Amino acid sequence: MQLVLPESPADPAERPWFTVHTDVFEGPLDLLLHLVHREGIDLGRLEVARIADAYLAYLDRMRALDLSIASDWLVMAATLVHLKSLELFPRLPTPVDEDAPDPREVLAEQLREYERVRVQAEALGLRPMLGRDRFARARQASDDAAGRPVASPVDAFGLLDVLFEVLARGGAPEPVVLLAEGGPDVGSCCRRVLTALGGRGGTGELGAMLRSLPHRPERVVTFVGVLEMARLGWLDVAQEAHLGPVRVEQLVDDEVIDLALVLGWDEPEPGEQMTLPLPGIGP
Amino acid sequence: MSTDDGILEFPQRPGGVDPELVHAIEALLFASGEPVGAAALTEALGADPDEVRVALRVLTQRRRDSGVVLERVGGGWQLRTAARFATAVHRLIGTRPVRLTRPALEVLAVIAWRQPIPRSEIDRVRGVDSGGVLKSLLERGLIRTAGRSDDPGRPLLYRTTSAFLEMFSLPDLAALPTLEERESLVRARAPDEGAEE
Repeated sequence: MQLVLPESPADPAERPWFTVHTDVFEGPLDLLLHLVHREGIDLGRLEVARIADAYLAYLDRMRALDLSIASDWLVMAATLVHLKSLELFPRLPTPVDEDAPDPREVLAEQLREYERVRVQAEALGLRPMLGRDRFARARQASDDAAGRPVASPVDAFGLLDVLFEVLARGGAPEPVVLLAEGGPDVGSCCRRVLTALGGRGGTGELGAMLRSLPHRPERVVTFVGVLEMARLGWLDVAQEAHLGPVRVEQLVDDEVIDLALVLGWDEPEPGEQMTLPLPGIGP
Repeated sequence: MSTDDGILEFPQRPGGVDPELVHAIEALLFASGEPVGAAALTEALGADPDEVRVALRVLTQRRRDSGVVLERVGGGWQLRTAARFATAVHRLIGTRPVRLTRPALEVLAVIAWRQPIPRSEIDRVRGVDSGGVLKSLLERGLIRTAGRSDDPGRPLLYRTTSAFLEMFSLPDLAALPTLEERESLVRARAPDEGAEE
């Protein structure tokens, strides 16, 4: 009988090691800049071969540590190898126009620009910061609600009331199969709310908006969408009285609303659906 | 000095400013908490705009070495505690220092010095996706969207807000350090700054 020691399983989930997340290097430019400084390379005269070797060696170490390498790191590796090949091999006479910028200079300029950003970021971080180095007085609460007629921003319980009330409605539980289809589309749920509000200054009642939707998952996703849009400062969610209706108001123009920021998802290409899986919701 | 209907009268003084005007401004700034513009002070006090300007200078001077200093931030004036007492203040009121991560500071720097700027440009300069950072900066009110660019796809443009100026103790965007100042600032970094982590 022969004992076969298994290779490291292909499925990362089966590997016995811990996965370590490191935020040391935020991206390829971050790493490149670090290597440039470590190797003492002058950004004015970028030595591509040296920096490419150092970069590839670092990627190898990342791979050995089983750190996942995102595609933009590989794109940078390919770019560096390409630039190195240009340095190593004699240039073929090509009909490429002479005005095209030297790709090495393009990369060097990108690194210089990122370095400027780093210096600027550091300078910002060194400024006296409110809430870290300095403190100002909080304004005193006042009796007269100047401005808005709204008594108070709605609290979590008011919102939960609306959600539970809306979810309790609708009578018969829906078939589970609906959920297996992937759930409703967040982007269009948000867009529907914005259409209903009808632009900046438009208002609506949260409960009524949710009740107008036929299915539970849509109601939940719309509810979450409203919360997200309120968090991003596009909507105001307020309750005029204790246990009163929850009013939603659009605070900004449609122009400045970027639905790609809702839940941190990119807006889908036309025809593609952005879906929110809804585990555990349903009868 | 103060008449029955609460309107203050400040006698004109050649070559100086009424000390009571300085005191009044100090009181208004203390009560407001938020930065107040010179125009709003002038209107609330019914005083002469030039006098108010002089009084603000006097007050800035007077408070300079005290525990609460007068600063011009975000287009207004605000009383703030002196930075040297930050540790004790945090200990007293039980707060943790506001912290911005390096990516957050980088995105803010890209926007602050190059605004208005579309997200694609921020991503390009940093070489990584900045969506998550942008979102949290929007939530903190440090940046805002400001219309759309005329470029293909009409991308949204981002700008810093007055909360950004307030957070970083800047009177306006023109006060952002220049490249030379930035470099000397970074060189002269206090040794305890890096030990924050």
